[in-house]
Amino acid sequence: MKILIIEDEKPLSDSMVEYLAEEGHLCEAVYTYFDASEKIGMYQYDCVVVDINLPDGNGLNLIRLIKSQSITLGIIIISALNSLENRIEGLEIGADHYLTKPFHLAELNAHLKSINRRISYNGNNQIIVNEIRLIPDEHKAFVHDLEITLTKKEYELLLFFISNKNKVITKAGLAEYLWGDYMDLADSYDFIYTHIKNLRQKLLKKGCEDYIKTIYGLGYKFELN
Amino acid sequence: MRLLNKITLNLLAISLFSFLMGMMVFYFMLRQQVDQNINLELSKRALSISKVFDDAHSSSSQTTNLSDTIIITPITQPRVAERFSDTLLLNPETNKYSIYRQHGFVKTIHNQNYYIQIFKPLEETDRLIIRIVILMNILVVMIILTLIFANRYSSRQDWKVFYDTIRKINNYDVNTHEAFILQNSDIKEFEDLNRVLFTMTERIKNDYLNLKEYIENASHEIQTPLAIINSKMELLLQSGDMKEKQYKTVADAYEASNRLSRLNKTLILLAKIENRQFPESKPVNPIIMINHQLESLEDLIHAKKIKITKNLESEVTLQMNHYLAEILLVNLIKNAVRHNIPGGELILELSEISLRISNSGPPLQMDPQMLFKRFHTSSASPESLGLGLSIVQKICRMYGFSVRYSYENNLHCMQVDFAKG
Repeated sequence: MKILIIEDEKPLSDSMVEYLAEEGHLCEAVYTYFDASEKIGMYQYDCVVVDINLPDGNGLNLIRLIKSQSITLGIIIISALNSLENRIEGLEIGADHYLTKPFHLAELNAHLKSINRRISYNGNNQIIVNEIRLIPDEHKAFVHDLEITLTKKEYELLLFFISNKNKVITKAGLAEYLWGDYMDLADSYDFIYTHIKNLRQKLLKKGCEDYIKTIYGLGYKFELN
Repeated sequence: MRLLNKITLNLLAISLFSFLMGMMVFYFMLRQQVDQNINLELSKRALSISKVFDDAHSSSSQTTNLSDTIIITPITQPRVAERFSDTLLLNPETNKYSIYRQHGFVKTIHNQNYYIQIFKPLEETDRLIIRIVILMNILVVMIILTLIFANRYSSRQDWKVFYDTIRKINNYDVNTHEAFILQNSDIKEFEDLNRVLFTMTERIKNDYLNLKEYIENASHEIQTPLAIINSKMELLLQSGDMKEKQYKTVADAYEASNRLSRLNKTLILLAKIENRQFPESKPVNPIIMINHQLESLEDLIHAKKIKITKNLESEVTLQMNHYLAEILLVNLIKNAVRHNIPGGELILELSEISLRISNSGPPLQMDPQMLFKRFHTSSASPESLGLGLSIVQKICRMYGFSVRYSYENNLHCMQVDFAKG
């Protein structure tokens, strides 16, 4: 996927580029409103990651500009301002997701993956990882073509793991992905532990290999060799 | 004691004291005047009596009693000069002693010295004086009372502004968004007081707003560096070529910076609720939200084998910001699940007037009042920020709900009363 990253903080931009490049995306980074509008006019992208507060302009205007050229293009807003109006306005004018800084790269990646699925398969798609097959639109999961019944959270968890396969997934990143901001996340870690235990059992029962590795003190990794 | 009462009492004490003193002085002065008057009269009579004697040719050596009020005593030695004094005499009619003014003088008739005493009863004049004093008393008391009541009434009018100011200061909340307006007064001191108070509250409010703005700006500015730190560490964790010890170090640092991010986000939320930055409100159906939350916690409820009892009235709607309503319910329900014991109970009751969420659990080890304090957490869950109930309280306060905690029958109960309270 070809991604344009519009973020004026260079170190943050670099991190995103590095993480997403490892996932096989083609990333370009610009740091100003002016450069961004120029790039959008000249090249085609599959997805744009845009910061709302740019030194020389408002990211929301960029989104309007992008949407006037291509409807299907995916847009993710990242902003330090978590104001509801901004969020609503951003989503209304066509953004797919709104992430509040600081966010987890794994979460950004998961959102990009879902955008990728939307634009490349027109939603009619499935994700296949070895013996596991997911149908995102129907929230269904199969192992060796046998359907496994997952709760909503277990399903989201599995999708998140697969989107970030072979990456270290931190517990904090998982908690935020599953429950969003603003929860007192006290013993959300216990919650995660419970979810992962159940998910793992359900997968193993259907003869799935044990891909979910625990990384002590830190989180988990969905490891495919 | 109210100032008005204090002033009235002072006034009363001072006027009573000065009145008593004045009355005493008045009495003695009146007394003196009357005595002088009588003395004058007695002198006149003495003169006329002398004349009578001079004209008479009597040479009696006996005491002559001209009337009740004259005693003439022949004396050998000339007495001291004439004098006035008070004396008691037996009144033959009433057979009682009563007070008389006496004038004694010496008269020489045919070389014989006589000591002559004439009297005038004082009883009548005494009565008169007492009557005058009593009348004066009544008059003065009435004047004082009238003055005090008039004074109280007019003072109360004048102090009205002052009491109004006090009431307003008492109710002053730097967080409210209402203007602090004091009543005008035509009294300079009160005008001064109001002006000083007004400038003071304005200054406090401005300082407070500046500080708040500063904190908010700081919180927002912190977000970006935090985002950089987090993303860099996430990358570092992915690199995979670290020793276990280094890994552990990075993991700890990552954990801490995540905690900081969450904390910051929550504090920004709290500040926003305080600033009423969630104005749009619409009818919210709490039941849908409650069910949604229970669903999202379903796995954990199942894992803890918690028994859920729902008693929800279906017609309830709340006029609230959707987002805040959700945060409120999430925090309450999640708390009830989190602090529940395995195999415990979770009871949800919703009615027009209140929402009650109860859960099983051992009694609290701390003061229930501390529950709503920021950053107050039980040491058992270090990941907790201790802000959940603080958020709940803030949201409730914003909508005029009241939230309280109770513990009975081994159930912790959080109750939100929707009526203003």
